[in-house]
Amino acid sequence: MTARKSGSRLETEIERCRSEGQWDKIPELVRQLSAKLISNDDLGELLLGEAKLQQYLKENPIKQGASPRGARPKLVEVRKHLTAALDRGNLKTDYMLEARLLMAKLSYVEGDYREALNQYSQVAMDDMLVGAPVYRLCMIAEAYATKGLCLEKVPTASPSISKRSPDADQEIITCYEKSGDIALLYLQEVEKVALSAGMQNRSPKPGPVTQEQELGYFLETGLQRAHVIHFKNGNLTRGVGRFREILRAVETRTTQNLRMTIARQLAEILLRGMCEQSYWSPLEDPPQQSPLNDSLRQCPLVRDYTLSRRPRVYSGENLFCPQENTEEALLLLLISESMANRDAVLSRIPEHNNDRIISLQSASVVYDLLTIALGRRGQYEMLSECLERAMKFAFEEFHLWYQFALSLMAAGKSARAVKVLKECIRLKPDDPTIPLLAVKLCIGNLHWLEEGERFAKMVVDMGEKASEFRAKGYLAIGLVYSLRATDASLRGTQEEYQRKALGAFQRAQSLSPTDHLASFYLALQLAVSRQIPEALGYVRQALQLQGDDVHSLHLLALLLSAQKHYHDALNIVEMALSEYPENFMLLFTKVKLETLCRGPEEGLLTCKHMLQIWKSCYNLTNPSDSGRGSSLLDRAIADRRQLNTMTLPDFTDPETASSSCSSVSRSEPSSFVHVPPLHPAPTPRLLPAAKPIPFAYCDHIPLRRPSTSDAVDPVFPLSSAGSVHATSMAASRVEQALSEVASSLQSSAPKQGPLHPWMTLAQIWLHAAEVYIGMGKPAEATACTQEAANLFPMSHNVLFMKGQVAELRGNMDEAKRWYEEALAISPTHVKTMQRLGLILHQLQRYSLAEKILRDAVQVNSTAHDVWNSLGEVLQAQGNDDAATECFLTALELEASSPILPFTIIPRTL
Amino acid sequence: MDLKFWFNENNGNWFHQRLNSAGSRCGKMLAMDQGVVEEWLSEFKTLPESAISSYAASLKEKASLVPAIYKVIRENYSDLLEPVCHQLFEFYRSGDPRLQRFTLQFLPELVWSYLSVTAGRDPHCSGCIEALLLGIYNLEIVDKDGQSKVLSFTVPSLSKPSVYHEPSTIGSMALTEGALANHGLSRVVYSGPHLQRETFTAQNRFEVLTFLLLCYNASLSYMSSSSLQSLCQLSSRICICGYPRQQIRRYKGINTRMSVSAEFLVQLITGIHYALCNGESDMGSKALDDVLYRAQLELYPEVLLVGNAIKSSLHGGALKSNKEGSRSIQVEITPTSSRISRNAVTSLSIRGHRWKRHDAVDLGSPDELMEISEVDEGFCSRAAQGGSPPTIVVSSNSGPSGGKTAAKGQRRLGSKLSRDREGVPESCRDPLSRKQVGGRAMSENLELLSLKRLTLTSSQSVPRAGTLSLSHTTSAVFSRSFEHMSNAFTVSNPVPVRGHSLAPSSPSAHETNRFSACSLQEDKLAYVVERVEHLGPSQHKQRSPSISFHLSTDL
Repeated sequence: MTARKSGSRLETEIERCRSEGQWDKIPELVRQLSAKLISNDDLGELLLGEAKLQQYLKENPIKQGASPRGARPKLVEVRKHLTAALDRGNLKTDYMLEARLLMAKLSYVEGDYREALNQYSQVAMDDMLVGAPVYRLCMIAEAYATKGLCLEKVPTASPSISKRSPDADQEIITCYEKSGDIALLYLQEVEKVALSAGMQNRSPKPGPVTQEQELGYFLETGLQRAHVIHFKNGNLTRGVGRFREILRAVETRTTQNLRMTIARQLAEILLRGMCEQSYWSPLEDPPQQSPLNDSLRQCPLVRDYTLSRRPRVYSGENLFCPQENTEEALLLLLISESMANRDAVLSRIPEHNNDRIISLQSASVVYDLLTIALGRRGQYEMLSECLERAMKFAFEEFHLWYQFALSLMAAGKSARAVKVLKECIRLKPDDPTIPLLAVKLCIGNLHWLEEGERFAKMVVDMGEKASEFRAKGYLAIGLVYSLRATDASLRGTQEEYQRKALGAFQRAQSLSPTDHLASFYLALQLAVSRQIPEALGYVRQALQLQGDDVHSLHLLALLLSAQKHYHDALNIVEMALSEYPENFMLLFTKVKLETLCRGPEEGLLTCKHMLQIWKSCYNLTNPSDSGRGSSLLDRAIADRRQLNTMTLPDFTDPETASSSCSSVSRSEPSSFVHVPPLHPAPTPRLLPAAKPIPFAYCDHIPLRRPSTSDAVDPVFPLSSAGSVHATSMAASRVEQALSEVASSLQSSAPKQGPLHPWMTLAQIWLHAAEVYIGMGKPAEATACTQEAANLFPMSHNVLFMKGQVAELRGNMDEAKRWYEEALAISPTHVKTMQRLGLILHQLQRYSLAEKILRDAVQVNSTAHDVWNSLGEVLQAQGNDDAATECFLTALELEASSPILPFTIIPRTL
Repeated sequence: MDLKFWFNENNGNWFHQRLNSAGSRCGKMLAMDQGVVEEWLSEFKTLPESAISSYAASLKEKASLVPAIYKVIRENYSDLLEPVCHQLFEFYRSGDPRLQRFTLQFLPELVWSYLSVTAGRDPHCSGCIEALLLGIYNLEIVDKDGQSKVLSFTVPSLSKPSVYHEPSTIGSMALTEGALANHGLSRVVYSGPHLQRETFTAQNRFEVLTFLLLCYNASLSYMSSSSLQSLCQLSSRICICGYPRQQIRRYKGINTRMSVSAEFLVQLITGIHYALCNGESDMGSKALDDVLYRAQLELYPEVLLVGNAIKSSLHGGALKSNKEGSRSIQVEITPTSSRISRNAVTSLSIRGHRWKRHDAVDLGSPDELMEISEVDEGFCSRAAQGGSPPTIVVSSNSGPSGGKTAAKGQRRLGSKLSRDREGVPESCRDPLSRKQVGGRAMSENLELLSLKRLTLTSSQSVPRAGTLSLSHTTSAVFSRSFEHMSNAFTVSNPVPVRGHSLAPSSPSAHETNRFSACSLQEDKLAYVVERVEHLGPSQHKQRSPSISFHLSTDL
């Protein structure tokens, strides 16, 4: 601070007032000053002139975009003061230059641009920077801005030159850029001074009013005009560069709003005007040639001036510097968001309506851009967290609620999504999409059928208003009924729901005859109620509408198998597999059919093939991928609540320990759940010697999202007849939790989320075990079951299979024990009930056997083998009439029984 | 899995086999177009390796070539389709970015051609387009060394310093699971690794096409407007064919429904967004509407999310793009001062208010700002790290009566403050309180200011509170704080007390949280807050969050 005389308190005070813009105090200070020394008169004139000019501008602020006023003001007094200061020539050089700058500014205000330029040409403003006190920084910044303004105005005076030469243009831009840089420096310095003053100042005087300092017309122009011109000239590269320069300067209180705006604008440009290939990082030089720039204009790509002092920029070690346009956009938006959030107007009194709207608008633009950026990258988990912060603004704001709901849905947080969707429905009751989305969630992994029914009814009740969505509404309600029918434990209710479901599907089909889903679900429902020929008709229709729909093909195959055309069914499955080679559902059906048509060896080959597919789908190792979010498992970990339920069975059931490989099997499910990079992947390390298919898995398998679009059924198809039941909910918790996670990843497969990879693997092993059991090879079957047990020791399917193996070995007691365990986990697993009933029958405990089999029939009235067993038990009890009836029912059902239950085909919206 | 397969001359015949199976029909192109294309075909074949770069640069000048190639692709039965596809593949294989972009610009048209043929179940004749698409895909999924390419990006985190910010100035951050998980910068894979594909199946179709669109989107800035138009057209058609809207759009092509995947639509939307903002606003907005229409019917949340956001950002205060077909983006000078009036209660003003009350530190220091614990958003990151003691103690101090408050920390500060008032100089142990003494004058000043502000707010609501109308104007829990305030105001009216403690200190912890998590109507939404409280008993004790409002009537 060379300009300051040591010890002169008065001068310090004057300097402070000037830097803080307290112009009203100047006259008094000047009076004191001139009282001291006569030679201060000139300085006094300067100060008075400045004070009056600034006061005038304060009272008559120049508005952005306003054209020069018609009646040019004459600031006679100001001119008098300044002329006096300049003319006598007694001023020190610094003050002299200040006086000239003020004179120029005065000329600008008076509208005499040429004169202003003339004054500026006499001052080397760059040199003034060195050691300038704070207030002078402001002066210089304003001077550059004013010079730019003058330069812009002057040529328009002569209409002959319509376009400025590039050089002139460049000069203007340089003026503004310098002005902006110095303005930033000034603001930083002002804040620094204010801070230290705030620390030391004990005087009772009011502190500096730094809190809401306003920039004023000139500084605002200086800070922003440069990039405005860049963009106007189509020079996106320079414009972006300028934005970045401003943003890299350390924030001050005054620049916060500017930074927020600019950060948002830059993010917007990055998202809508740039792509990965045209991007360059903020610390790099822009590319020489860029498609972003208007090719007709040639402008220099980088700044072509240097200043002796520049604003401080963020620095330090390990600064994060974005390398990609989405990264930079995200960073900017997060910064913007934190500021927008801070400005959230919380009060709801009417007086603040406008403020609230402003704060809401600026925030929702930021949140929309965040959605665009994160949506592009599939980061819905993070997005839902961001949008949750937006809820501050969301009172009665449909858009924010809806976006939040959608993000929760996309992130797989189904339960919360439904709740938020309810609020959306309240805000916008006419939109059929919203309840439909809710139904989709309810009948998906949530299995909230009653809620689902309510939502579906909303759509149906809309009637004509729902237009194209009406058919969808009937489809939805049909699905709800269909699922409820499967859940129902009483035959009466079951039939009632089936009837309702059929009706709804028929309605949907007639409303939208070109929708293959309507025909397909109608066919499926008919199939479930064993109207095979009708079902075949509709599935054909569905296939005509959508020839390569995997579920329709699968259903067709099952229907053919119900008519005992096993070879045709197999052909269909094989054809479907040529279009969906990685679809495990089809492959499981194929195993069954092959075993039947071509012998178990073929089935085993298919099992081996499945293991290979499993490996290639889920085992694409990617060592660099340690990030979160993208890999399947990382996503799974994101929702802890689901994980809690997932680990539950491990500790609640002491029987776990009794599983043959207790220590390993107990630890594994929980460990792969909790350790992010999936360390002890449940590798089949306990492979017994008789391992049917030698297969090496690498021990470190970072899972990725499967590329397949398998069909999903939350339960193992082996058991699907039983375990979808509401009563067995608690039982198949592991599977449920897993499938919930799995279907939260549904993004790749719209209607059918991929199965959780580990569940798929376990299923493959169980299928292989079944084939071995069919071949009468207990050792191999045990080995396969063990593989599945390593993954899911508590699965009732595994326990059931263990029982089957024991039965095969003739060990009835052991088999009974396994079956009982399986039923303890899943009390309505029909197959287990049937086997257990038979064993009890062999043990001659008829009445218990009858009880169990009757229960099984209640659960699933179409299971012909249960009817058959029941008949046997009744016969053994001497109840021949009832037995005959059972046998007849069994016969009848068997005639229309598919190779796997129809219900393995997922019913989702 | 040998990806050299694609480049290997020996078994590279695959491409030609596919081409030959394609079969060609008679063309009905104009002779002139045909000439242009034929010339282009022969020219490249004879080109020496060294001349490729200059050739790539000169491609731009062939004005009639691109439209002619479009014609070839659109007319499925053209004789030229097969050699054109082959040459486009050769361009892509050359590795020259300009040649690659030349091929990419036709991608939307190629995808449409392929999909329409697939939907029409016309098995022949799309063979060479299929081969070209798969060829590009298989080239793009591997890097130079033939390793599977993985596309990843870094999720920026505000808790790490960047070129644009310093964590301390951001203030406190929400303590969510995600925030904790993200404490460091994490790298996230958004695409890949992909399997190489030799044929299209129903299963992999959209996986391949999505990836191709991703590549296309990565070079959007280089795409000509005809390519962008073709993209919009592709999007519209895919989404409406077979649906009632097809009639509205008057598109008479195929009318079978095409299945789509959500990711594919999201990628389409990304391209549409660019087109929309870069000169194709009409076609772009139509395409966006159509994609949203389809997404609603398919109930794809991902697509709806991004599509809604784009739509709303176009209406909102976003940048305006130039209408006249040019690609420039316009910005204007915006006022830098806050547009929100000063007496409105904002998140910041509430935060600042509590803080100014008792920690007499200067406002401007960003470092101190850091130390404000904010009840509504968890606590500040520094405190979260556990190192420094929580410095914010909120108390309902009001002169001598401050000592009544129960919480330990409150008492501590409360007494300190009252000592200060009595003018007893004291060397304080912790640095904060030293600052407190130093900056007292100013802070009192600020206090005064904030008092004014608050008084203003509450006085505005006084008449309403009296008639209880406030409670129904706001259903947010936040309104309660106003009621409290205004009630307090009326209560304190007769007695000129300087301050009035409103919130009972510790039991109100929960309630205070509610205040700040104001508009979250569902308790669930505020679950984070509850979690925070269980984090550490010590932190909890010291930061027992209670709001105290000083209301003075003599202002």
